[in-house]
Amino acid sequence: MLICENLSFSIDGHKLFSNIDFKIKKEKDLLITGPSGIGKTTLLSVLCGLQIPTEGSIRYNDISLYSLSENKIDEFRGKQLGIVFQSFNLINAFTIKQNLQIANTAEGSQDTDHLYDLLERVGLADKSHIKVSNLSIGEKQRVAVARAFIGQPKWIFCDEPTSSLDDKNTDIITNLIKEESLRHKASLILITHDKRVQSILNFNEILRLGEVL
Amino acid sequence: MILGVTIITLSVLVNQITKNTFTKNNPNLDVVVGAKGSPLQLVLSSIHHIDIPTGNISYKNAKKIMKHPAIKFGVPISLGDNFQNYRIVGTDKKFLKLYDAELEIGSMWEKPMQSVIGSNVANFTKLKIDKFFVGSHGLIDTGDIHSEQPYKVVGILKKTGTILDNLIITSLNSVWNLHSNQNDILKKSDSLEVTALLLKYKNKTSVFSFPRLINKNTSMQAASPNLEISKLFKLTGGAHKIINYLSIIIVSLSFAGILFTLLNNINERKYDLAILRTLGFTRERIFSIILIEGMTISILGSFIGLILGSIVYKCIEFFSLLGRNIVTGQLDFIYEILIIWFVILIISFLTCLIPCIKVYKQNIRNTLLNS
Repeated sequence: MLICENLSFSIDGHKLFSNIDFKIKKEKDLLITGPSGIGKTTLLSVLCGLQIPTEGSIRYNDISLYSLSENKIDEFRGKQLGIVFQSFNLINAFTIKQNLQIANTAEGSQDTDHLYDLLERVGLADKSHIKVSNLSIGEKQRVAVARAFIGQPKWIFCDEPTSSLDDKNTDIITNLIKEESLRHKASLILITHDKRVQSILNFNEILRLGEVL
Repeated sequence: MILGVTIITLSVLVNQITKNTFTKNNPNLDVVVGAKGSPLQLVLSSIHHIDIPTGNISYKNAKKIMKHPAIKFGVPISLGDNFQNYRIVGTDKKFLKLYDAELEIGSMWEKPMQSVIGSNVANFTKLKIDKFFVGSHGLIDTGDIHSEQPYKVVGILKKTGTILDNLIITSLNSVWNLHSNQNDILKKSDSLEVTALLLKYKNKTSVFSFPRLINKNTSMQAASPNLEISKLFKLTGGAHKIINYLSIIIVSLSFAGILFTLLNNINERKYDLAILRTLGFTRERIFSIILIEGMTISILGSFIGLILGSIVYKCIEFFSLLGRNIVTGQLDFIYEILIIWFVILIISFLTCLIPCIKVYKQNIRNTLLNS
């Protein structure tokens, strides 16, 4: 279970969001929505341990995230969380395969067989040797999704995964995220304005940031 | 890095081995007496066999000096010929005792024109027991040979690690015999000459008085080997220091190069390093990756430099006169080289820490946002 209590975040004295409380049970999903600039991406960073909240706590089952040391937070993120960033955050100088391998290494696994299965499922097995910088936006998004599911994560965070995709690719990526999260029995926490995504994914919980504020 | 360490290694090797060689070549002799001229030249020619002799002195006077109350013992030497650039030294058997020389094979000379040869001479010239060879006039091979009177090899000495390894030793009579057309001249001892007299005092109180006695009252000169060699090192020390400073500057520049390369790499890859953090790489792990990267460059560079410096030195040793007349393969320098390498690695480590700390302090979120 993911429990957020009284979560607030300020930048230079300006409150971006405050007093956010929610719970997500195992294998349940959460949609985070709200107007631009309200702090959705920052909230995602805070949930993933990339940015320390000004106030509040985050607990993954029995683990209080920000009571851990920074190194333990990094290790926890590598093993328990999968993140699909809005800007993909892939290593452009690496091939698709190398991007997945480095994530596999970070997670601490030596076994690479499952990487090929994953590439097969996202439809990039025949392009695994191609550098990420040479891929289309849709292909990069698929690599980012594949990478997020390495290491059997229990929580998947996606930040606007379809913001720059056409309808066809939106369907592909959204279904991919849905299938993989079901396959891994992972909870999905997703930020999107995209009604197409919301129609495909059946969210158990919706957090409207503007309303909270 | 490679160039800097190569020069440092070469400089240390040449310096250490030259010093060691000059030390080992002198079997604790206190003074050398020879013809007037440069005292350094006398020492270099009669003990280290590098320079040409200052001239000859009367054997009769030499014998008188050897009987002087201040002298414990003396060894006369007579130079003048060579075989393939290896000097032929006419002397008596005490000369070999100075270096604790032992025969590897064969026997000592008993008759004129018999010789024993040093181990390097045997290796390089392929001379063997019972083989004959003809000396050339002078101290370098000019082709002006004494073909009428060849030498016979009767013994080969064990390696001593001194100049003795590069010498051909024979009796004084052999040298006198070769340089006189009249056999009866051997009977006229008044006209016999030697090149120098190697002497040891009975006690150290004669250090000042005996040379003064020789220099003031005779047509000969007395020179202290230790004093002259230390003067030589003072003269050449300046050039050696310049080479050392130069190599320190080059190594410092290579440290700066490593530092800027790593900083530049980190700057270019800060986005990728931040991605690694999002994937679960800890700060310590990334710190280690950058440190290993920098230290690999340093270790490889300095190791290659060490090997190259040693190879260049070995080439110099083999091909040059340095190899023939000075260096005889001591290994005492290794300790100093290892210390230098160790110091270089410590400085490399400290240099690499700067970019590592920069990475350690990196804010992932800001880096990802800024890129």
